[in-house]
Amino acid sequence: MLKFFLRRLLAIIPIVFGVIVVVFLTLKLIPGDPASALLGASATPSQRKQLIADLGLNRSIFVQFWNWFLAVLQGDLGHSILRQQPVGPMVMDAFWNTMILAVGASVIAIVGGLVIGGASALWPRTLFGRACNWIATGSVSTPQYSIGLGLIVIFAVNWEILPASGMYSSTGPQNFWDLLQHLILPAIAAGLAPMGIVARVFRSSLDDVMRADFVESYRARGAPSRKVLTHAAHNTMPALLTISGLQFGYLISGVVFVETIFSWPGLGLLIYNSIAQRDYPVIEGGVLILAVALVLINVLVDTAHAAIDPRVRPA
Amino acid sequence: MSRIDVTTADIDIFDAPVTGTEREDFEAEAHEPAPRGHGLRGFLRRVWTLPSGVKIGGSIVGFFVLVAVFAPVLAPYGPQEGELADRLQGVGTAGHLLGTDGQGRDLLSRLIWGARPSLTAGILPVLFAALIGTSLGLVAGLGHRRTHGLIMRTLDVVYAFPAVLLAISIAAALGVGVTNVIIALSIVLVAPIARVVETEVIQVRGADFMDAARASGAGAVVTASKQVVPNILPTLVVYCTSLIGLAIVYAAGLSFLGLGVAPPNPEWGAILNDLRQNLYDEPMLALVPAAVIFIASVGFNVLGDGLRELLNVKEMA
Repeated sequence: MLKFFLRRLLAIIPIVFGVIVVVFLTLKLIPGDPASALLGASATPSQRKQLIADLGLNRSIFVQFWNWFLAVLQGDLGHSILRQQPVGPMVMDAFWNTMILAVGASVIAIVGGLVIGGASALWPRTLFGRACNWIATGSVSTPQYSIGLGLIVIFAVNWEILPASGMYSSTGPQNFWDLLQHLILPAIAAGLAPMGIVARVFRSSLDDVMRADFVESYRARGAPSRKVLTHAAHNTMPALLTISGLQFGYLISGVVFVETIFSWPGLGLLIYNSIAQRDYPVIEGGVLILAVALVLINVLVDTAHAAIDPRVRPA
Repeated sequence: MSRIDVTTADIDIFDAPVTGTEREDFEAEAHEPAPRGHGLRGFLRRVWTLPSGVKIGGSIVGFFVLVAVFAPVLAPYGPQEGELADRLQGVGTAGHLLGTDGQGRDLLSRLIWGARPSLTAGILPVLFAALIGTSLGLVAGLGHRRTHGLIMRTLDVVYAFPAVLLAISIAAALGVGVTNVIIALSIVLVAPIARVVETEVIQVRGADFMDAARASGAGAVVTASKQVVPNILPTLVVYCTSLIGLAIVYAAGLSFLGLGVAPPNPEWGAILNDLRQNLYDEPMLALVPAAVIFIASVGFNVLGDGLRELLNVKEMA
């Protein structure tokens, strides 16, 4: 298993290198330069020239890439042009905030997905089963911003029972309970679409397994339904694991709308703001961290998949 | 005694799936023979026996397409027309069915006009990406091992990028405008489509009819277009229909972030972002465009599900 994991880990090196190259090149293609963004409209040409030289933007593109690449390998993501802070800690802080949101959303997605998917697979003819089926279909298509604004209107504007923005309240204790209250609405807004996808995958794989011969043979031997279901559920694990991993990856990179609406200080919001401000190093560092996290999650999911399902293990 | 009760109750509950799946099998078979009949009655009967997803999803999609096409006829006001004196009227005001925005413009009219850019920016990227992605997937699936490796590893790199952020960066680089949204989303959607096509092609590749085609002297292009494409088409159509639902959400999302359609022009995401400023004055107003985007997206997803049932395509994880 360790060998499998290490081999997969080695296989991501070319992907990560590709990501580094593409991130660098894409940002060079964005029109408008950071020097003008930094200095504003009133800058003199000589001021601009000086700043461009300071930032190293006047050297050849290969030199710029090589310097950046060497620094990245040493864990140095450079300095934010606008904020005059090292990018590394800034990006990592935002990344953990996003992780908190993604974990909260995943809890909603997985728990809700299991309940809804299970109900629609086990009782397809009942009203409850059908309702669950429709909820799954509906929530797959939910735009994060639509549901986010809806939740704010109901819980923050009309009922005033949950906060609509930020991670902690500016007054009062900034403890775990405070964080949890701030987390509920964004987590629901981000978790609803993945919940629908988890529900659908769980439903179709449970449906497949319940038709399998071994389930029939259990029933024929008079095994109690609960036991049959336990065995059937065990066989849906690989599909469930894969889809949960994929959705978690989608969440850490796709919550930018939720972060914008709820002012959640996560990586998506940071990158989005940095794009508007043309703060290249922050965009580069942020996208790089996200891409590496995505690839790593895929490796972990594959390894866990191989651990619980011998069929996908290499011979 | 009570133990037995519990067990029977369990059986009652958990036996349901067996009958349920049998019923679905029966239903799936019922779609096989097309209902007979000619003329209008035969047509109506055929429509009636379509899966409910096709009927419901198709109706929603058809409704929005008609609204977009007939916007000038349907909209009670022009998209930019409005008096500041009428600003922020609530939903249900006389003369303004869905209320007015912060500049007094009729919300219903703006949503109707907005259907044009919003649907265009959802449908066109999927079509463009399907063309490019299918070609890449075909070449990768049917080509030499090295070609396959080159294309798939390149797609791996693209795939490693977070889709939403990739779309945001490209849209930001290109500047505002519907065309740029379409370009940004087309680029983002190529990789997933190519992957789906490649998986399907590899499954078809080993089939006997492929050997037969090759043996009878068919060239690569003919085999691809006459043998492979018809076999992967159902999966592709189902996948792309659902992708349109997603693309509508992304396109509106880009405008919502101020990267898509520029403000005075009506577009669902831009309208939503505009009304968000007045969330605490007139909360219900912002929910209208939010709901419209949601319903349009649901429409395409339900249609995709119905087509999946109709064309008998297996669900992909």
